[in-house]
Amino acid sequence: MNEKDLYLMAYLKDNLSAFDNGPVLLDVKSTQFVRVNLLLLKAFSSMPGRPGMFIAVDRPHHYMLHLMGMHQIDPQGLIFIDAISRFAADTKNSHSPANLLNAPSNIDSLPSAIRDWAGNSPHPAPMDLQRCRFAMIDNISSLLLYNSFNNVEVFLQDFIDVLTSHARVQIPLLVDKERNCMLYEAARSLCPHEISVNDGILASMSLTSKRNGIARIVDSNEV
Amino acid sequence: MSTPDTCVRARAEIVRLTSGINGLDDSIEGGFPFPSVILVAGSAGTGKTTFAMKYLCEGAKKGEQCLYITTLSEPTQWMMRYAMQFDFMDPSYFDDQIVYMDLGDKLRTMKPNEILNVIDEKIAEVMPTRIVIDPLTVIGNMMGGDYRQFLFDLTNRLKNWNAVTVVTGEVQPNELYPTEIAYAVDGIILLLLSDEVVTRRKYVEVLKMRGTNHATGRQPIDISRREGIIVLKARF
Ligand SMILES: Nc1ncnc2c1ncn2[C@@H]1O[C@H](COP(=O)(O)OP(=O)(O)OP(=O)(O)O)[C@@H](O)[C@H]1O
Ligand SMILES: [Mg+2]
Repeated sequence: MNEKDLYLMAYLKDNLSAFDNGPVLLDVKSTQFVRVNLLLLKAFSSMPGRPGMFIAVDRPHHYMLHLMGMHQIDPQGLIFIDAISRFAADTKNSHSPANLLNAPSNIDSLPSAIRDWAGNSPHPAPMDLQRCRFAMIDNISSLLLYNSFNNVEVFLQDFIDVLTSHARVQIPLLVDKERNCMLYEAARSLCPHEISVNDGILASMSLTSKRNGIARIVDSNEV
Repeated sequence: MSTPDTCVRARAEIVRLTSGINGLDDSIEGGFPFPSVILVAGSAGTGKTTFAMKYLCEGAKKGEQCLYITTLSEPTQWMMRYAMQFDFMDPSYFDDQIVYMDLGDKLRTMKPNEILNVIDEKIAEVMPTRIVIDPLTVIGNMMGGDYRQFLFDLTNRLKNWNAVTVVTGEVQPNELYPTEIAYAVDGIILLLLSDEVVTRRKYVEVLKMRGTNHATGRQPIDISRREGIIVLKARF
């Protein structure tokens, strides 16, 4: 990670700290989803005792795990729910404990599975939902490849409901407003708060990190 | 800006990265499919490196991370001397946004699998949206028998990253593109020289671009200090 990344992470952390429960909409360029996901995971991992869930629908979760390793982000407390590995028959390196869904088109079964974890399901739950503090989906717009728009909308609503009814959970929803404007509008109606991570913000961050150096800026945001 | 009225497409569209080459993006529905691997092929001096530089600067200008991998053992200053003549090149891009990696020495000493891992690690570190390997064909000359398998593994890995990789391929003047690379990539762009000896002209041709309704046929290009490469049709 370079200075610009650290600066962006501080920006995300700072903005998210104001909303510690429920969904937050992030307007992010599609090309930056992986970077922003990683920076969010880094920001969350620096808050000890905050387990969370990462739902992979775009790329098998071991890519994110690999990236986290490269960037010294501790995966402790994080559970992966992988909807794409089995579907893509891409299970190499999936030695990490991930919960596999059959396919991204089965995403609508996830909220009820989460509901079971909180209830009296005979199966052991992969995480204590009460302690869950954040939940992320790597790329919501990828769901549109496998599900109708309406189903994705219903899923998001259900997903947010089940999480927020059991715990205080931060749910960053990444959408590229310019590219997926309908999804953006749908997500916006679910999110009381929005953070922008568009081209302008990114470009200004390169400039700022170049001008100021990062040390001082990170300090001022570190809690 | 999109308003709900103009907001009619519910399905996921292919994300594209603009090439930065004036006139080319119009021929490929706005840019290269993201992620993908694109081969830019041409004989000596047709503008492959200029193409690659323009492509990276387009990303750097927008705040994207870029990775330039050379296979030539060229010291940074050497490459910079040529790159800096272009008006679109800002030296500060090389502070952090365009990361330069020289693979030349490693090609001589490492096994194919080790080379793949070194590239992988660098990509994971930089997290680029734009990658260039220039020229890829040099590896073939060094690697011999393992080259085809290496290309297959390399392009597969590159497609797993969230990036558009431009690999350049050198060919003989009578060849169109290096066939061993062509089958593994998502797009092929040819840079061509015409046969006229006195007024030899340069052209670009999009030979293939997956998921894209692209223009066909040659279009004249111009190489200049100001713009790097431009497709001339775009002027009219
Ligand atoms: N400032 C300039 N103005 C006009 N033409 C230029 C300029 N700079 C370079 N060129 C043209 O571009 C050619 C070199 O472009 P470039 O290095 O991108 O080609 P290449 O295909 O990468 O070549 P190589 O086979 O050496 O790798 C030059 O030979 C020249 O014809
Ligand atoms: Mg060259």
